[in-house]
Amino acid sequence: MKPLLDVKNLKTRFYTQDGVVKAVNDVSYSMNSGEILGVVGESGCGKSVHALSMMQLIPDPPGKITNGEVWLDGRDLLKLTEEEMQKVRGREIAMIFQDPMTSLNPVFTVGFQIIEAIQLHNDMTHDEAAHRAGELLDLVGIPGAADRLNDYPHQFSGGMRQRAMIAMGLSCEPKLLIADEPTTALDVTIQAQIIDLVKKLQKELGMAIMWITHDLGVVAELAHNINVMYAGSIIETGKIRNIYKKTRHPYTIGLLGSLPRLDDSPGTELVSIPGLPPDLLDLPEGCPFAARCDYRVERCLAENPPLVEIDGPDHAVACWRWEEIAGVESK
Amino acid sequence: MSQINPEDFTVTDFAVREHRSLWGDAWRRLISSNTARLGMFIVVLFIFSAAFSHYFWEYEPKKDLDYSLKLKAPNLVVTEEIPSIHPFGTDKLGRDIFRRVVHGGWNSLRVGIVAVGISLFFGGIIGLLTGFYESTTMTTVERIVLYGITGFLLGMLSAWIANQFLQLVVFTVIGILAGYFEGLWAGKYYRVIFFGVLGALLSFGLALFTGLSVALICGSLGLLAGLLLSVTLDGRFFSNVMMRVMDMILSFPGYLLAIAIVAFLGPGLSKGMIAIGVVGIPVYARLTRSAVLSVVHKEYILAAHSVGESHGRIIFRHITPNILSPIIVQTTMGLANAILSAAALGFLGLGAIPPEPEWGAMLGDSYRYLTSGAWWAVLFPGLAIMLSVLGFNLLGDGLRDALDPKLRL
Repeated sequence: MKPLLDVKNLKTRFYTQDGVVKAVNDVSYSMNSGEILGVVGESGCGKSVHALSMMQLIPDPPGKITNGEVWLDGRDLLKLTEEEMQKVRGREIAMIFQDPMTSLNPVFTVGFQIIEAIQLHNDMTHDEAAHRAGELLDLVGIPGAADRLNDYPHQFSGGMRQRAMIAMGLSCEPKLLIADEPTTALDVTIQAQIIDLVKKLQKELGMAIMWITHDLGVVAELAHNINVMYAGSIIETGKIRNIYKKTRHPYTIGLLGSLPRLDDSPGTELVSIPGLPPDLLDLPEGCPFAARCDYRVERCLAENPPLVEIDGPDHAVACWRWEEIAGVESK
Repeated sequence: MSQINPEDFTVTDFAVREHRSLWGDAWRRLISSNTARLGMFIVVLFIFSAAFSHYFWEYEPKKDLDYSLKLKAPNLVVTEEIPSIHPFGTDKLGRDIFRRVVHGGWNSLRVGIVAVGISLFFGGIIGLLTGFYESTTMTTVERIVLYGITGFLLGMLSAWIANQFLQLVVFTVIGILAGYFEGLWAGKYYRVIFFGVLGALLSFGLALFTGLSVALICGSLGLLAGLLLSVTLDGRFFSNVMMRVMDMILSFPGYLLAIAIVAFLGPGLSKGMIAIGVVGIPVYARLTRSAVLSVVHKEYILAAHSVGESHGRIIFRHITPNILSPIIVQTTMGLANAILSAAALGFLGLGAIPPEPEWGAMLGDSYRYLTSGAWWAVLFPGLAIMLSVLGFNLLGDGLRDALDPKLRL
């Protein structure tokens, strides 16, 4: 089957006064339709920037996509002009943002914004669009949906705003929905509701979802596949089972180790990864994680390991010593 | 003890409470301030008297002349000596000052509205575009339009220096071409050569009709413009060119530039309006640009991009309403400033042409009679200027406090 989304060697650079920030480095992966992909990594590792690059929404200048191809349904998005791209956004790829508090325009009603999004890509009258907007708000579980179309964003709670954003993202039934840390700003009960909602909607509407997060616990419940990103590159990728049960990259092991677990005995200290991610202005020559890695050997400092497939196409890792790490089963 | 019955209690949903819109809220805050109310009163009185006198009280300045009533002090009753009532006295030609002050208000109002309209329109558009495209990829059409404008501005400079108005057309065409071919030869060195040579040749050739030295100046300007337009065609370049032009205007003292423009266009109230308006453009351009820059990276703008909205829609529907409050405040204050500037031009004899009633011109006509005791001829027009400026300033202060409490100094 041909994949829905095929990203090849995507590279994004920011040309700042201090130098060139290498935000995304040679990222390649593909997604099938109906798949939920989790993109995981700590802050500033290029998760959001790579998603914005796909939609060509990085601020330019200073940002530039210097290399790569993004094939969506047989078209290379990076070759499209801005006019053509405006037709792709919203209709084929939609995006939900991290902070529901600021991602709705404060001077318009929620209904106005959803109706606008609907009318942009569909030939509908205002009344039809308003009706559809009501249905969408209903679908995402806002009580009394039709009556709340005339509310302003400040009259919605955080969870409701995120639901409204999801409704807006779904308004044209995109093939791919990118959710950029959609639950980070919400409290845990609302997080769980939103995750259930997304799962349900994905089953009903059958679109592919890219879920960007730093929370491995969230994607564990949700995703089919996971990309682990570090310093702008994918360092481990594969089926969720492989990532959680047969972890091969020391960074992923560190990430999993830093999650609190219910079956830990009281008083167990959480593992933290020492140090900070490398400066993207000045990436080291070898493996970007080498400086913080317990398994470091000399080769790691000299050469950057490529992403290689291990035990079949469902698991790939970028580490020179993955075979030795294979012995370490995560908890 | 009585039984508690749950049905006796009504649950009030907090969301049911009456909603106040931003403007309703601002209005409430505005009328709760005494100074803002005073400002509003003066402004309403000023607008009302100006409009009322213009439409319902005929006045022909050219026929208003009566030497027998020359420089009479204010009187409120008819006497044998003065057969008519002049609450503000009369001036050196025996004209009723009250009447002229009231009619002068119409002129001041017109100057204020037209001049601020010019500044606001051009400044606002420039500010919106430069702020938005500072970090947004342009579409082909937008590039062509914006580079056309940039070329036009460069052409104006050249046309003015070399006195060759064809240069305007040439430079605009070069800008449009540069915008159109952007995608074609992006980042290629021969693009620089092509546009440099094109600009130089076209400008030189056209200017040859005038003379060799002019042709040389135009040719080198064309070379420069061609090179400029061909190198880095992105929004930041456009923004830079526009803002540097604004800096150039801003670097002249305001009155001096206005006087220069009036000297260039010729005297008259309408020319004065244009002069005052042009001088004000950079103020609005900078204000709008900074306001746009503060919202353009907000997530709701990114969200608008991500649902596929066009740039024009984002600029005018999503950004503009969010930056309205500082602009409303600046516009109100700007009206006061424009009235003051018009009075200054009138005082210097550059604004309204003499028999036309205009406060500044009335001051300029009468200050010489101050030493002979005719205080009323200067006092009342001066008071009118002072009060109208005060009114707009108080209202502007009130609006600032009402629309954006964080801005309060």
